[in-house]
Amino acid sequence: MTVVRSKVMPGDFIGDVPPGPLPFNTYRIGNKLYSLKVGLVEVEDKEVKFIPLSGPYIPRIDDFVVGTVIDLNAFTWDVDINSLYMAHLPAQDVFGRNFSSISNSLNEQFRVGDMMVAKIVTYDRTRDPLLTIREPGLGKVVRGEPVKLSSSKIPRLIGKKGSMAKIIESKTKTKLTIGQNGVIIVQGPPEGIILAIKAIRLIEEKAHVASLTNMINELLSKESV
Amino acid sequence: MSLKKSPIIENLRKAQMLDLLSKQKRVDGRAFNEYRPITIKLNPIQKANGSAEVSIGNTRVIAGVKIETGEPFPDTPDQGLLVVNAEFLPLSSPLIEPGPPDEESIEVSRVVDRGIRESQMVDLKALVIESGKLVNCIFVDVDILNMDGNLFDAAFLAAILSIATARFDKKIMKEDGTEETQKIPLPVRLIPVSVTSITIGDNIILDPTEEENSVLDSRMTIAFDEQGRIRAGQKGGSIGFSVEQLFKIVDISKAKAEEILLMIKKMIENA
Amino acid sequence: MGKLIDENGIRLDGRKLDELRPVKIEVGVIKNADGSAYIEFGQNKIAAAVYGPREAHPKHISLSDKAIIRCRYHMSPFSTEERKPPQPTRREIEISLVLRRAMECAIFLEEYPRSIIDVYVEVLQSDGGSRCASITAVSAALADSGISMRDLIVGCAVGKADDQIILDLSDKEDKEGQCDMPVAYMPNLDKITLLQFDGVFTEEEFKKAIDLAIVGNKKVYEILKKALTEKYFKTGEEK
Repeated sequence: MTVVRSKVMPGDFIGDVPPGPLPFNTYRIGNKLYSLKVGLVEVEDKEVKFIPLSGPYIPRIDDFVVGTVIDLNAFTWDVDINSLYMAHLPAQDVFGRNFSSISNSLNEQFRVGDMMVAKIVTYDRTRDPLLTIREPGLGKVVRGEPVKLSSSKIPRLIGKKGSMAKIIESKTKTKLTIGQNGVIIVQGPPEGIILAIKAIRLIEEKAHVASLTNMINELLSKESV
Repeated sequence: MSLKKSPIIENLRKAQMLDLLSKQKRVDGRAFNEYRPITIKLNPIQKANGSAEVSIGNTRVIAGVKIETGEPFPDTPDQGLLVVNAEFLPLSSPLIEPGPPDEESIEVSRVVDRGIRESQMVDLKALVIESGKLVNCIFVDVDILNMDGNLFDAAFLAAILSIATARFDKKIMKEDGTEETQKIPLPVRLIPVSVTSITIGDNIILDPTEEENSVLDSRMTIAFDEQGRIRAGQKGGSIGFSVEQLFKIVDISKAKAEEILLMIKKMIENA
Repeated sequence: MGKLIDENGIRLDGRKLDELRPVKIEVGVIKNADGSAYIEFGQNKIAAAVYGPREAHPKHISLSDKAIIRCRYHMSPFSTEERKPPQPTRREIEISLVLRRAMECAIFLEEYPRSIIDVYVEVLQSDGGSRCASITAVSAALADSGISMRDLIVGCAVGKADDQIILDLSDKEDKEGQCDMPVAYMPNLDKITLLQFDGVFTEEEFKKAIDLAIVGNKKVYEILKKALTEKYFKTGEEK
């Protein structure tokens, strides 16, 4: 099983079109597959995986996101989720179906500038994403430091089965709340937060490097909390 | 260019900043009277008569000077022209839309212009070629390339450095009656410096970032000359400060201006 | 022979007929932007920034099935020999349009419906061929932002001076030569996305000029790829 990993840029030829659906971030002309972005392509046994190194966050149903309220009206909060579309949290999600705009004040729950961890409930190409905070682990963010990371690098921060995030959390004694949309909340002791942010910055810079896990381990051992 | 909406700084972040301030600390670890790293590149635009690129932290601007000839203003027939203009390029921030300048960018232009003019940095009388008819006109244009707070000082610094290092062609009559073209500097008398600060409660902070601006009570920009005299000033922000606070602001700003002036003079000498 | 090219085929700035001016590209220079680049092409110094895709304001200007591109090409007052007032001129508006059309060929607009992609170009110093340098910088900025593109775009002008076909005109050759033809090109797809010309060409000269433009564009492409590699693929482990 040979894994061929190559660096590609928009327009670069990747190979023959593999069977099945087109991998994200590629396009085809006839039988040939081409890259749409700057990224890394792994071809393992005719399966093509594309790892983009930058790009806007495109919402997906069931994604966990961290957003900031930027506006509100009588029925919804407008939430900036660092994407090309504004997300919305309906008042009913917070107050229940018997919600009344007269007796339930949206401003008391979330003001402009408040952050929340939410899940994307609905989204399609014709409508803005709708959020919910009804599940456990979701809701207002009351403490911690917000950090931004390019959404295309979030998988690297999480790691295989969450391994990378777990290493950072244990070595820095922090808790990471990771939004798929590239916004992360870091909670913990001040020195831990500083070190965790350093690790996140390293991932931002070196996401494309195979030995990244070693580099992170080195950083965390050298400056352990 | 106009700012279409204020940046939303998260409430959590604002609370963090205020908490740190109460412990006499800033988010980026700076002291209250400390500036971010200042990087300067002189003469990046050779086609201009003078130019300078200045970065204060992440705020980045570039200024260019063009010297032309033209008619003086009717009420000042014995003075050359000096016009300072700052553009908030839409390049510089997600919040800026293309269009005519709005009040914020006009304010920066005019404050920088006044600071340079009132300090009499350039001897405008020496720019006269023929009184009432022909004078040299100095146009200083400042482009904001990346916004992160304290545009006033970055624009001011870039403007005065490009004026101080500008060269233009002057036809000189030599002793033997032939004409020669020399590259001469502008008639610069002194180097003014501007210092911008904000107040948050009782705290006075120099060189605010865009984040720090989101929690300011008031803002002050003061231009000093080389003797430490106050030549121009502008208050921003919607909350007032006490007389005592104002005097403190002036003291702190003056001390900083001296520091910055030394750095600028060294730069110009080595240019 | 003539005043722009000497009898040995050497141009006023010392270049051969098919020689490119020095080109330098840096990616990611404007921190606030989603993507950005700075290019030096001869004496041209140009910054480009991309914001988007993002929500359109007002909403009604957006399209339901694809993104809109808004492009602003602008020259700073100190960028030219004589000071240029800051207000946009008709020339700048036209160049904004041809740049936008060139981008529309490459960007996968359908991937970002109901959104807008803002592209800003600021010429800090101008020296002939600025629109070709601009499209190259814009392409780098778009790649930096991760917006899906069928191909990178590069630009390089050709022209005629003293009856000879030349590559990459300088300011003087542009003003005093016989013909000026900016060309933007997508190298992998082998497609021309921007083409303008004025002057006088025979059909044969025209074909020769286009061929030379493609050669020049391919050279610019190599430089663009190196600049993107510098930002995205350096591991710090190279010797």
